[in-house]
Amino acid sequence: MISVRRRPDRPQHETIVTLIDIVFFLLVFFMLIGRMDASSPFELSPPISAGGDTLPQGGMTVSLSQDGRLALDGVERPRAEIVTVLRNAIATSREPLFVRINAHADTPVRHLLPLVTALEALPEGDVVLVVTPRRR
Amino acid sequence: MRLNRKKRVGMIISVTPLVDVMMILLVFFMVTSTYLDLDMLPLVGGDRPAGEAPAPVPVDRVQQGSSLLVRLAADGRVYVSGEQVSLAGLSSLVQIRITTRPSTPVLVLPSGAASTQALVSLMDAIALAGASNVRVVRLSPQ
Repeated sequence: MISVRRRPDRPQHETIVTLIDIVFFLLVFFMLIGRMDASSPFELSPPISAGGDTLPQGGMTVSLSQDGRLALDGVERPRAEIVTVLRNAIATSREPLFVRINAHADTPVRHLLPLVTALEALPEGDVVLVVTPRRR
Repeated sequence: MRLNRKKRVGMIISVTPLVDVMMILLVFFMVTSTYLDLDMLPLVGGDRPAGEAPAPVPVDRVQQGSSLLVRLAADGRVYVSGEQVSLAGLSSLVQIRITTRPSTPVLVLPSGAASTQALVSLMDAIALAGASNVRVVRLSPQ
């Protein structure tokens, strides 16, 4: 007669330390990799460019929709109000202002250029256009 | 006299609330983060004089000078001196011009109906040719 040796049953209480490790790892991963951003109130798909530079974090984001609507850091506002807010931000901030224009690829230039001209008239600050890098 | 003392049990801290909190944080960061790989094109530099907007460029004059005027039509077509050119042809043209005169200003006059994508592609083609003095001009409303 063959005697079969069975392994002893695993303990009833599974340890959750491994789960904590995995969750903590994922948490750190998403904190480092992700970039919190003010969401735009409208759908945006930035233009594709092969000659863009790395986009730094921080600053303020002006979103420009396909039909010319504007938003500052996720809140829809008219252009004059956006310029006023940016002007006040420059006056109160110690560091130079960094403004990102997040425009839809299909936005007509007649909506984009007046915005750039208005931002050009600000006392100081860097204004950049957000683009999607072209995959090679 | 014999005392029956209970055997001391090591203090056990429940880690379940910790897992709950971490799960909430994890979901928060997963939902609120954006993972788009984005670049930027500088439009207005910080080295300009304070409070001074660049002077508007009279379009009727720039054609006659040493600058190269590139027109962008509403349908995305590119014209130089009235002739339609491709983006590759434009790069070659700009390259030839800046080889002979490195400081040649390239002025881009886009139609108001042209898309931002068309303008960016045009600027890419000009930058690819090595031009450093590029400006976008627009007709001032009367």
